[in-house]
Amino acid sequence: MKKIFIATLLVVFFSPAFAVTSMKATVNGMVCAFCAQGIEKRISKMPATKAVYVDLKQKTVVVEPKEGMALDQKAIIEEVKDAGYDIVKVESVPKSVAELKAELVANK
Amino acid sequence: MKLWLVFIASLLLSFTAKAAPMGFKDSWMTMGDFSKTYRELTANYALTPRDAIGVTSTYMQTNNYSQSQLNNELTYTRLVKRWNMPEAQANIWFIGGVGETTGNYFGGTKATVSPGIQADYETTRLYASANARIYVADGITNNVVSARTGFSFYEANYDETQPWLIVEARRMSMVSTQYEVTPMLRLIHNRFFIEAGANLHGQPRLSFMYVY
Repeated sequence: MKKIFIATLLVVFFSPAFAVTSMKATVNGMVCAFCAQGIEKRISKMPATKAVYVDLKQKTVVVEPKEGMALDQKAIIEEVKDAGYDIVKVESVPKSVAELKAELVANK
Repeated sequence: MKLWLVFIASLLLSFTAKAAPMGFKDSWMTMGDFSKTYRELTANYALTPRDAIGVTSTYMQTNNYSQSQLNNELTYTRLVKRWNMPEAQANIWFIGGVGETTGNYFGGTKATVSPGIQADYETTRLYASANARIYVADGITNNVVSARTGFSFYEANYDETQPWLIVEARRMSMVSTQYEVTPMLRLIHNRFFIEAGANLHGQPRLSFMYVY
């Protein structure tokens, strides 16, 4: 009985329904932290955004949604355009911003 | 006391630097540039990703204080063209002003216009820009031209402070026929941008930029 209970807990907490899917975008023109402020500020204001990570060296922006909410990719692309940049590639990755940040830092 | 603090804070947030002359859409930017011969305070608001309106006050004086001129203008900044590349960004800007000018070498207050253009190119390690602006009033024509280049000591990430060495050559026709060369240390950290240096005559210069 105990084993079944633990197995059930594991299935519940590690099932795909609980996995985070973040949006990872490759951005052209992002060369300066001062100028890239707009990306973080504008995307952070979006209702579904939980966290934003900007990586100048990898030219990458990662956006994590709030639990139970979906990111509007089209709107995020528009926000990046309004901040003055161009998105050239978008990927959905089953990781949180914290996980991706750790990965990107480790790859440097 | 509080008014003084607000005034001092406004000044500190307003010293200019000639990087991108406007922020992102719906942002305010304050800029300023302070030296013996040239002082500028600017605030603008980005209506669109490419257009900003604002106010600028520009004061120029000769080294011996014999001539000085103050321009107060409404400004319009337009991003004419931007190239976003994988490892670089390049821009062409139009910067124009309309307002009034006063000075100690002509009488009264005159209407003035000041169209200008800026081109810049930047990577995470290199920076170059050229800027030209002409200040025209009845019987008076002054121009300011400058070129900047520099490099970053190392490639920094978004949340790190990045130091740069920037050298500017600037000629202000009202001030002198000579080019003024100024090496400056530039520090960028998030929304703060500061430059400090001294020209080859030892005159200090301080620039700030802040976006919010």
